[in-house]
Parts: sequence; structure tokens; C-alpha cells
Amino acid sequence: MTQRWRLLLHGARNAFDNMAIDEAILRTVAVGDVPATLRFYTWEPSAVSIGYFQGVEQEVDLAACRREGVDVIRRITGGGAVFHDREGEITYSLMLQGNAPGVPQNVLDSYGVFCQGLVLGLRRLGLEATFAPINDIAVNGRKISGNAQTRRFGGVLQHGTVLCDVNPALMFTLLKVPDAKLRDKLLQTVAERVTSIRRELGAVDPQAVIEALCAGFAAALDAEFIPGVLTEQEAQLAQQIKGERYARREWLFKR
Amino acid sequence: MPDVNGFSSADYKVTGGKLLRVRLRTVPDAQGEPCIAAVSITGDFFMHPEEALEALEAALPGVPLRADVLRERIAPFFAGEVQVIGADVEDFVQLLLAAKP
Repeated sequence: MTQRWRLLLHGARNAFDNMAIDEAILRTVAVGDVPATLRFYTWEPSAVSIGYFQGVEQEVDLAACRREGVDVIRRITGGGAVFHDREGEITYSLMLQGNAPGVPQNVLDSYGVFCQGLVLGLRRLGLEATFAPINDIAVNGRKISGNAQTRRFGGVLQHGTVLCDVNPALMFTLLKVPDAKLRDKLLQTVAERVTSIRRELGAVDPQAVIEALCAGFAAALDAEFIPGVLTEQEAQLAQQIKGERYARREWLFKR
Repeated sequence: MPDVNGFSSADYKVTGGKLLRVRLRTVPDAQGEPCIAAVSITGDFFMHPEEALEALEAALPGVPLRADVLRERIAPFFAGEVQVIGADVEDFVQLLLAAKP
């Protein structure tokens, strides 16, 4: 049976609000106060997010981020460091109850289910997208989307990015590379291994990308998306979570 | 080589792409064998629930840096409800061994 989901089109926000809102929705969806939710957003200013288990100083050149005006944040999801260029990507998040029908309890399997929405969406744009386990989407063998999931508070959160445009030089100014001598090689590797909608299609229409991804998720999840807004309860919870977690130095430097 | 604080580090690349990193300090036991005194594991893997990693780190002090003992100590954390994605027990064992001073 088709499930009715809430759709939130959030536009640009800073990293701390973005991550706090995802978590606030997760907690609110988990207890059944709002329906399962699909959210789209971007990052203003640009930001680097690191995975829950990563060491911030191991992964991020904090001085370079300060110089470039780029925020740095630790996610509640695992995975790797991501540069969220303010104009270079579209981020989505899916929040649903942990026991929702059709969601495998096995995390690895559930990546396949949710990522199918991205695959179908990108195909609507004319891209030969395929799921590249564990948690990536590739076009012509090059990564175009990375995704990360957590299961907490009785709910499931998966968020991820679709690359619209890539700036590897800036990315590797902000992210530390294991060996500085490898920088040039890495830049070359990124060009070979990563792609973007602009590179594949020549142009990006963010609105069209979001519409295509919605249609993809609708087909993959048997969902109908009803445009909605963040509730007052969620907005207040997000502010609280931001203050208690994401905006805190202790959280960023946890590892 | 341990750093000025007595910590040694190692990176371990899992087949398939994830990177595990460790910082640890050891103290010799009565036989002079290096045992873990403090350890911090980082990386771009996934673990559900996430707090299982903190529990694993808390269970490692006192354990000698020897494959069989490490395997025995780590395996229970990866059994049951915990799901680790992008790395397995043996990867964590090899990671810790790689940091042997």
C-alpha cells in the first residue's frame, strides 16, 4: 500500500541547523508524532562533515576551513568526510520508523532499498546510475552520490548527497590527505572516480534534480510525498539538539 | 615509533575501501609483553549501534597485543545485535597489531 510521506524542501541552511533538523525529525518521526519524511537541503556556508567515528584533526585541515569560511561538523552517522559545497550538491535525508514496512532490519540490505530511490531518480535525468555497495551511487563507474545511515531513538535516518558540481582542488585543501605527496595523484584520482550532474549532463537544474529524486524515491519506497513544513515541536527540538550537540566543541572533537 | 605522549598510531586499509585508524599506548605486563593501556579507534566505517565502538575501546585495556587474544576479545562485540559495515573482526585485529610499538 502506498505510504503518505511528508516532503520538506528546505533550501540552504548552515551545517549546525541542517544536522540538528535531521536529528529532530528522526526523533519526532520515531515516536509517531509526524509521518515518515523526505527532506532536501543545501549548505550555506559550505561545510565539511565528518563521520561519527572519524578523528576531526586526522581528517580536516581546520585552519584551511577557517580561512575559507567553511563550517566543520561531526555527523551522527558513520562513513567518511564530505565537503558540502554550497552550490555543488543537493543533500537529502529520509527519516522513518524503525519498524516501517519494507525496511530491512539488516543495515546493508536497507542501503540497497533506499539507494534504489536515488538510482531511479538519476535515471529519470538520463543518467546511467547504478547502486555501488556499500553506500554509493555511480554513473559510468564514477561516484555521484554517497550515503550514510543511523538507527537511533527507534527510527532510521539515511542522509546523503548528490554531486551537482565538483571542486576537487578546494576539497583537498580542506580535507587532509594521508600523504601530502599524494595530493596530485589524489586530484587525478578524484577526476577519474567521481563525477557530477554537470559533468554528465553539461548543466544542472536543481529543481529538476529534486523532482526526479522525489519520483525515484516514490517508486522505490511506494511512497506519495505531500509537501509540508517542520512542526513547531521539531523546530524547538532542533534548536535544543544544536545547542546540546552539534554546535558544541566537545562534540566536534569527540574523536 | 611512539609519539611524545607514548602513543603509537597505525592506519589500516580494509579491502573494499574503508580506512581504520588507531592510536594506542601500551604498558609491558609481568612477562614484558606489551598490553593495551589506552586506545582510540577512528575511521570511515559504520557500526550500529554506534556506541558499540566505545564499549569495544573500553574492553581493550589490559589486553596483550597478540592476534589470538585480540580476536577472542573483539569477536563478541561483533556478534549479536551489533552490525559493523565496511570492516570485520580480523580487520580490527590487524589494525591493533599494526600499532604495536
